[in-house]
Amino acid sequence: MPDPKKARPPFAPWDRRELPGSFSVEETARRVGNYKWVEMRLFEALGGWVATVPELDVKLRLGTHCYKHAWHSELWHKRLPELREMNPDRLTLPANDAMVEFMDAMTAPEGEDKTLEKLVGVYRVLIPHKIAAYTYHLNNTSTITDAPTIRSLKLALNDELDDWRDGEMLIQSMIENEEDVRRAADRQAELEAIMVRAGGIAGPGSIGTEEVPSAVEASA
Amino acid sequence: MKRHLSVEDLARDGRFVRVNIEDRMNDPRNLGGPGAYGRDAAEQADDGDRAARRGLGRMTPDAPNAPDAARSLMHGIFVGEIQALEGAGRTCYDFDLGEGPEEVPYALKLDMARQCWDESRHCEISVKLTESMGTEIGEFGESPFLFQAACNPDALLRLAGVNRALEGLAIDVFHTMREFGDKSGDPVLEFCEDWMLADEVTHVKMGSDWMRKLTVDDPERRARALEFQSVVDKLFSLGGGRSDDEDSPIRLARRFRQMAGFTDEEIDQIADVSREAREEADNRLAARRATATAG
Repeated sequence: MPDPKKARPPFAPWDRRELPGSFSVEETARRVGNYKWVEMRLFEALGGWVATVPELDVKLRLGTHCYKHAWHSELWHKRLPELREMNPDRLTLPANDAMVEFMDAMTAPEGEDKTLEKLVGVYRVLIPHKIAAYTYHLNNTSTITDAPTIRSLKLALNDELDDWRDGEMLIQSMIENEEDVRRAADRQAELEAIMVRAGGIAGPGSIGTEEVPSAVEASA
Repeated sequence: MKRHLSVEDLARDGRFVRVNIEDRMNDPRNLGGPGAYGRDAAEQADDGDRAARRGLGRMTPDAPNAPDAARSLMHGIFVGEIQALEGAGRTCYDFDLGEGPEEVPYALKLDMARQCWDESRHCEISVKLTESMGTEIGEFGESPFLFQAACNPDALLRLAGVNRALEGLAIDVFHTMREFGDKSGDPVLEFCEDWMLADEVTHVKMGSDWMRKLTVDDPERRARALEFQSVVDKLFSLGGGRSDDEDSPIRLARRFRQMAGFTDEEIDQIADVSREAREEADNRLAARRATATAG
């Protein structure tokens, strides 16, 4: 029987978590507020689109995914007061004007013949960018001090990856000829261009910035 | 994407056939006459006026046309679930966040999103049950009455009409179908209806809770919402076929309604509304007979 009085380290040998992280409390709150804004706009749009798509399988998937993004928005909503923002609405903001433009453009298609455009906007542009931003955040925040955000990021990422696969497969099943390929590609390019201007769902730095050393620094 | 759709905006594939509510209610198969669902000729003859005044024939497994009655009802449930999904989705989208009469709180939108997921599952469940009963999508008409109630510009009235009245009706219908599954020896039907019943209680409770929260300082708005609910309750009391009576086609599921936030008094009111609807149906029937006799 092990001696209960024997001194053990606070971190088990296999626990490699470290204190440093890339984000301050304020920066984390800003990003989380941006995430909540995006998740809200997304679940509202998916809910609104349900009635406008005639394809039964798409209709049911959108209804399911609508809730997942609502739940993600709630996760971020609840995290904000823990990050010293007692009025979560104050930080529930788009990263910048281009992000507003992106969401307006993504949610614009309405007609029942626009299912492909709706799906491409969500599953080939927005959700891949969400996965990227959430992954960057997950891999760069402090694994000790910011554990609650990490847990929410992991829960959200699990859904995002599942939903991306669902959406991508629906898109593939709807593309039947070269014209459809062009339609999907044109739509993706149109929205991707706006997203590039936005810099990602949390603005420039959504997936970090690569620091290239200047020539002077490199030679020093 | 515009806000506030109408029934005409609902997107469907080519299999679905839309019928209006009057046609659905006046379908002779639902009225208890010869060939009515769930009743054989001898039973109808013995039953006199009682059969004719019901919106739906009583579902008994031993009746010769009970399978058709169940198939029709299950297809009706399936299309109702699609509309419930669409209605909840639209309430996520149609309103700005806020406390004003044309706005909704964030938590209400979260509830509606949750309902979207639940209704999506109900569509999946009911389409599988529909197919297992040998029915094809579109074999029966679709009346868009549920979505109509979900088009109200006041979110509270949507909740009153859909979550309280029509989802309340769903509690009664699923309770009846669960019993039918038990009596007819269909454990899959009984199992599925039991699960959907649990979700419906949740949805009705959402409606009850929001009704109370949103009208805590606004009795006039509450009165308007309750009046709208009563109109919808009466319209869909199935010609008085939903009641406390033992042999009623759809029995009021009092215990589950209580769980969903209905008071005994409110359930009594639904029974009263149903009784009124039955009397009106009796009067219409008497008038039709008088006209036929005179002719």
